Amino acid sequence: MIPPRVLAQAQDLAARLPPLLVAAERVAASLAGGTHGRRRAGPGETFWQYRRAQPGDSAAAIDWRRSARGNGLYLRETEWSATQGFWLWCDASASMDWRSTPDLPEKRNRALLLNLALAALLLRLGERVAVLGPGDAPSSGPGSLPRLAEQMASPWGDGVPHPLRPPRQGEVVLVSDFLMPPERIAQDVATLAAQGNGGHLIQVLDPAEETLPYSGRVRFVDTEDETELLARRAEDWRADYARRLAEHRDALTAIATAHGWSFATHRTDHPPQLALLALQARLAMPRSRRPT
Amino acid sequence: MIGFASPWILAALVTLPALWLLLRLLPPAPQQVRFPALRLLLGLTPRRDSATRTPWWLLALRLLLLTLVILGAAGPSLHPHPLGQGATPLLLVIDDSWAAARDWGPRRQALLDEVADAARRQRPLLLLTTARPQDGTTIAVQGPLSSAAMQARIAALEPKPWPTDRAAALQAVTALSHDTVTEVIWVADGLDNPAQDGRKLAAALQALGGGVTVRQGQAGRSLRLLNEGGGEQAALAVSSLALPLPQRLAVRGLDDSGQVLAREDAQIPAGQTHTEITLRLPVELRNRLARLDIEDEQSAAATLLLDESWKRRIVGLVDEDGSTTPLLAPLYYVDRALAPHAELNRGDIPTLLDRRPDALILADHVLNDSESVALRDWVQAGGALIRFAGPRTAAAIPAGGRLDPLMPVALRPGGRSLGGAMSWTAPQGLADFPADTPLSDLKAAADVKIMSQVLAEPAPDLNDKVWAQLADGTPLITADRRGRGWVVLVHVTANASWSNLPLSGLFPDMLRRLVALGAGGRPASGALAAGEVLDGFGLRHPAGGIVQSLPPSPAERHVGPETPPGLYGPEGGRVAFNLGPLLPPLQALTLPAGIQSQPLERSNSPRDLSGPAFAIALILLLADLVVAARLRGAALAGLALLAGLSGQARAEDDFARQAALSTRLAFVHTGDGFVDGKARSGLTALSKVVAERSTARLDAPMAVNLERDPILFFPIVYWPLSSEQKPLSAAAIDKLNAYMRGGGLLVLDTGAQKAGADSSDFAHLTEGLAIPPLTSVSAEHVLTRSFYLLKQLPGRWDGAVWVVGNNGGDDRDGVSPVVVGANDWAGAWATDAQGRPSFPCVPGGERQRELAWRFGVNLVMYALTGNYKADQVHLPAILERLGQ
Repeated sequence: MIPPRVLAQAQDLAARLPPLLVAAERVAASLAGGTHGRRRAGPGETFWQYRRAQPGDSAAAIDWRRSARGNGLYLRETEWSATQGFWLWCDASASMDWRSTPDLPEKRNRALLLNLALAALLLRLGERVAVLGPGDAPSSGPGSLPRLAEQMASPWGDGVPHPLRPPRQGEVVLVSDFLMPPERIAQDVATLAAQGNGGHLIQVLDPAEETLPYSGRVRFVDTEDETELLARRAEDWRADYARRLAEHRDALTAIATAHGWSFATHRTDHPPQLALLALQARLAMPRSRRPT
Repeated sequence: MIGFASPWILAALVTLPALWLLLRLLPPAPQQVRFPALRLLLGLTPRRDSATRTPWWLLALRLLLLTLVILGAAGPSLHPHPLGQGATPLLLVIDDSWAAARDWGPRRQALLDEVADAARRQRPLLLLTTARPQDGTTIAVQGPLSSAAMQARIAALEPKPWPTDRAAALQAVTALSHDTVTEVIWVADGLDNPAQDGRKLAAALQALGGGVTVRQGQAGRSLRLLNEGGGEQAALAVSSLALPLPQRLAVRGLDDSGQVLAREDAQIPAGQTHTEITLRLPVELRNRLARLDIEDEQSAAATLLLDESWKRRIVGLVDEDGSTTPLLAPLYYVDRALAPHAELNRGDIPTLLDRRPDALILADHVLNDSESVALRDWVQAGGALIRFAGPRTAAAIPAGGRLDPLMPVALRPGGRSLGGAMSWTAPQGLADFPADTPLSDLKAAADVKIMSQVLAEPAPDLNDKVWAQLADGTPLITADRRGRGWVVLVHVTANASWSNLPLSGLFPDMLRRLVALGAGGRPASGALAAGEVLDGFGLRHPAGGIVQSLPPSPAERHVGPETPPGLYGPEGGRVAFNLGPLLPPLQALTLPAGIQSQPLERSNSPRDLSGPAFAIALILLLADLVVAARLRGAALAGLALLAGLSGQARAEDDFARQAALSTRLAFVHTGDGFVDGKARSGLTALSKVVAERSTARLDAPMAVNLERDPILFFPIVYWPLSSEQKPLSAAAIDKLNAYMRGGGLLVLDTGAQKAGADSSDFAHLTEGLAIPPLTSVSAEHVLTRSFYLLKQLPGRWDGAVWVVGNNGGDDRDGVSPVVVGANDWAGAWATDAQGRPSFPCVPGGERQRELAWRFGVNLVMYALTGNYKADQVHLPAILERLGQ
């Protein structure tokens, strides 16, 4: 059950961001008619250009009103508009249900918030959004948001789900702490990228997971499998831990880059707008020019 | 300097090094942390992984703590008494007289210290009190007693309101066995009697052989009235022992209820034993005085009780015809002059004599024989008979000049008149008052003129009887002593027809002095039964025990257990019997050589140090708890232990402050999350609506827990009844009843229609609430008019609403303290954060919701303004009447 507060918060967050124009490239793959001007002639409603009729054009396509004003025959072309499918995923594993101090939100809450805000933003633009996992086809319209929120909050197994109808030619946004082994992540990303999807990985971490602020005798207990580790002087572990974390992030970046995806990090003590703005900037950019 | 009661416990100190080792070896328990990124930590091998040791300061803290506990258990004490002496008996001699009451607390403490000391050495204890016991038994040595019994006796011992009887104490001491050596500690009151029995007692105590220590505190002081039974001001004398330093003190006059009416500072100079004080106070207050005492000194001798003789005079005005014509009536000016200072009675002579007046005033009244006889006895007994002359008196003067035996002088028939149209003489003024009379301190007023008077027959003794005379030497006031009383004749009338004397300022002063002559004429007849007696501290108690009645003659009165100081006699005729005047001059106790004299407070008394040791240990323990909790990452638990109670109190204060600082609605916290959320959201929306539509500004609503929170701050308490709520405690029911009595409005909403539930399900919740009989809301009820004009009062549903009927004529001006309904109003008002309604309204839809809001506004107005809008109900009738 998702707290209603998070949903309201996400809508609020989305409302405060500038409109997002999602760059779409894989025009041919986007079959459903939609709202995106593709900057080229095609099926759509918005006027694109007049063009001289050429042999082979259907007579019915001739715009007689325009042709009457000139010497030649003109066709009226409309801009090709199409929608993009977005698949969002939010990690629901136990490690996400954690915060280092009561002042901070749990990582899972923050991840949900980011995802929902993004969904609200996309839905407002008429994009089609789905949650990765249940296998529903992407839907559009602001009414879909509560359903998405509901699906997002219920866990779909451990790790990135592999639905029966995997997304194709869309954008996948994966939000998690990505603390699982890099090999597993690489495998998941490869599977999704093989379907022609673009993607974004957002790592949500608690500040304590970046800085390891503990000192003295500390017994660390894992949140998922109850593994224990006794540090006799936790401050001695700090530097090594930071190195490990950097290595892990490098591995994730490499995985993303290999498939043309992007990788970003977010800390729960930072405002969610930052992450959302960054994500928006990435989505608004054609995939070929995206930095990773 | 420091000794231990049980030194063997100190052996436990050897365990300290063991503890030190133990603490060194065992590191503190690790802090437990859940950590999702544990996988990244696994396999790491830090360069330097030394175990965290217990910090040295924590180690020191714990060792200190244990040391303190061991030391405390060993019973340390500062300045302990040497334990060497054997168990010789100890005789405690206590002066429990009035003079010891002044510092009884320190005396008792000194005695208890001695007993505790003796208990440590297990000495047998003997007790001798030197004032006669309350029950009248003789003075005797008590004991041997255990220290516990002795402590109980000393705790129960109180100073007596009479002096010591050292002679009897001396006998008791000489009767004591001299076989064993007995040490003596004498807590003396510092006084001795003229026969020096105190010195003899000291010598006898010395003869017991164990040494005598005399502990002396401050001796009491005594208070005495110098002008017993008369005078304008209370002249007092305070006696004390001569001290090398001046003593400052204050004397107070109190009334019956203990209110201080007058207070005068005084000082007994160094080396003096006596000072005199005049307590000045207006006559009106003087009559209320019931008691005089020395401030901050509670003792029987420092307290003077005042009886009726101190109070205002009873004066009879003989006025047979009852004439009350102002200015002309014979006694008009007398009445005006005396009314502030005396209790005036009017009537004929027999009636007045029944009231035992101090003085009688006759204005131009000629006495018949029976009256003469009655008055003669009364004057003989001490009454003051004050007569004014007049035409009738002048006409009745016989040739011999003796009108009746109750005239101070013989009168010459006819009298004389001075001035006037037919006379050569001018009206006469007053001469100076003769010396050595009660009036001699008055000044003759120059404006007093006498036009007519009766004349005294010259006689050899006339000059002695004249208290006032005219400028030419003619007597104006003559007086003569008869037995214990006086007869006084004023040779003019009591009104202004013969002179302007009654109009002058002299007249009231004169009359007051004359009236004060009367000593009451109330002889004490027989023994006086005890009314209230004083205890040693000068406090009044009803008489009881062996207290007997007081002999009539002052010479036979002795203060003692049979007749303690106090008030004797019947109600209304109380006679004060005070200790102060009975005491001989105070004389200091002088001690024979070889006796130690010590003050009460001993500077080097043993002081038990185990309490402080344990207290410090406890503080250290708490500090250790906090530190340990911090090390384990659970600092809050440790702090909560400390914060505990204060936090609770602060929370209550916060609630009250928050509730009181602005007007807000409240709802009852039922414990049912759904119902509570609905009520909060509904009332929040309603507060917003009320603010939008009216000038009432309501702050965010608050949830009240009926068991815990005060509710009197809220104009409305909305109670959504929920089946999940537990029945209320009696205290909460009382609180609700008080709230409704005090003008609050309780809104009970069963919301019952929703599930078809029976509202009797909620009967157990409201059981005990004092709700008068209910009626349904009529169309004219104020609730339908207080802001909007409403026909129905719907919520989510539209059902009947019940209020208290207005037939009781109660004290709430017809404002119902309770509104009962099943419409689930909060449900209709409730909105989500975006302002969208949360629940549908049936059957009326959004229109019904609007009506529900309007009802809410009406409800708030009803709670805030009461029946103010009830007048609107009568508006048509009022308009109709205005039109006529």
